[in-house]
Amino acid sequence: MPSPDIADSSTRAPEVPAAVDVREVEHVYGRGPGAVTALGPVSLTVPEGAFLVLVGASGCGKSTLLRLIAGFERPTSGSVRIGGVEPVPGKGAGVVFQQPRLFPWKTVGGNVELALRYAGVPRQQRPRRVPELLERVGLHDVADRRIWQISGGQQQRVAMARALAGDDPLLLLDEPFAALDALTRERLQEDLRQVSAETGRTSVFVTHSVEEAVFLGSRVVVLTRRPGRVALDIDLGLPRTGLGPDELRALPEYASLRAEIGHAVRAAA
Amino acid sequence: MTSPVSLRPDPAAEPGTPRTATAGEGSPPASAAPGAGALRYRRLGVRLLSIAVLLVLWQLAASAMRNPSFIPSPRAVWDQLLLTSTVHDGIRGYSGHLLVEHLGLSLRRILVGSVLGVVAGLALGVVMGTVPWIRVVVEPLVTFVRALPPLAYFSLLIIWFGIDETPKLWLLTIAALPPVAVATASAVYAAPAGLVEAARALGATRWDVTRDVVLPNALPEIFTGVRLAVGIAYSSVVAAETINGVPGIGGMVRDAQRYLQTDVVVLGLFAIGLSGLLIDAVLRVAENKLIPWRGRA
Repeated sequence: MPSPDIADSSTRAPEVPAAVDVREVEHVYGRGPGAVTALGPVSLTVPEGAFLVLVGASGCGKSTLLRLIAGFERPTSGSVRIGGVEPVPGKGAGVVFQQPRLFPWKTVGGNVELALRYAGVPRQQRPRRVPELLERVGLHDVADRRIWQISGGQQQRVAMARALAGDDPLLLLDEPFAALDALTRERLQEDLRQVSAETGRTSVFVTHSVEEAVFLGSRVVVLTRRPGRVALDIDLGLPRTGLGPDELRALPEYASLRAEIGHAVRAAA
Repeated sequence: MTSPVSLRPDPAAEPGTPRTATAGEGSPPASAAPGAGALRYRRLGVRLLSIAVLLVLWQLAASAMRNPSFIPSPRAVWDQLLLTSTVHDGIRGYSGHLLVEHLGLSLRRILVGSVLGVVAGLALGVVMGTVPWIRVVVEPLVTFVRALPPLAYFSLLIIWFGIDETPKLWLLTIAALPPVAVATASAVYAAPAGLVEAARALGATRWDVTRDVVLPNALPEIFTGVRLAVGIAYSSVVAAETINGVPGIGGMVRDAQRYLQTDVVVLGLFAIGLSGLLIDAVLRVAENKLIPWRGRA
């Protein structure tokens, strides 16, 4: 359980408008006759504090869209803006990938410490912040462990702690739980929902799981198959706080939303 | 050795329940499986036995040959060990230097040459791995030098630098450089895109990525290059000491050959071989300490 004072410090953090603005974006891989249009044209705006989930079959360009928002790639046409500026990797957005991508030459704590250093946190403050961040994602007493000494689920938690280290207004997650076993995945989903509710951070989450989308999202966007376009854009309107995971799943709206989105995903694929 | 406690993929021991996952965490890793100790002793026994058999064969060959200039007996070599390690009749060791002094000076040359070669190879490798056109220009040259036997360019070094320490150190440096440069360049070039991207997503600068991702990731391969380089420097030192090599173990062997002191030659071979094994063992231990993630990531 994250302690309240940590949650406080991060709700204060986003002073810049965190909105994501995707306008008429199209993305093409390759050139000439072999070129593949992976995405678009797509337009989207994510208001501050929203938890947007991008759903679609594999190969629909949802990961491409996330990479464009992260600034790893530039769109072939159209524009992407984060808080009004062009995205640059490492500025304004924390990213969690499908694989944990931790550095095996560092300990668990060392990985988080490095993220704090890159985020410009002064050296003296880091030893205090490392355990804070790890506890925020539900990890205790693992700071001195080696990466290969913790489970896959724990590794992905460390990756989340690392992405939160920068206190960026935006959190981007690219199928972060897809490689985990069902039980671990469910636990991480529940904890992410909690962390997200506490920090109120704007998030874009990519998944191919309809269940995951309805459980985590405040808004769900379904993409068509390649080149991905918006097939469905829906505000879920489910309560974000105050309900346990089982209570949330038991809501009648939950089931109908899941059916509707599931139908849209199948129709779009 | 990893603690078996932490490696279980059991979802029940997963993060949400840290208490089960961390149980027994402070305790040292469990020792190897029972029976491993016995196996180890048996292996040691076989090794000692094979050494004893070789000694006996050696003794038999020496007795059959009856020519100590061709095959000296183990006893004669042992006596030379004592003679070259002491001051006797006012003579200090062999050619005025004790065996350990000969060996020590050779090892010092290897150390200096290897360190210079490794440092230069590392720098060159990083540049080659990061700047494509430098790689294109320099790689054929490095491969060319690597293919040359060190003795081949030693003559040139003698002409340039005389017959004292300088050409010897140059020889070892040049011999040690290529393997490190090649290993470093290929490992730096093949830096894992996923980790580099993760670092960039955290706000790492170009230099941060090189220092914190590319170089540590290349370390296992660099270390293999270093071991190779030390081995090459080791085999080159004897060549380097063929000219004005006393004191030095190679010089000692060469002098002994001139005077047909075969027992000293054999003693020198033992000194070289055993210290080589020792150095490789030290490098292996250093590797395990420095690169604990090798083979795990």
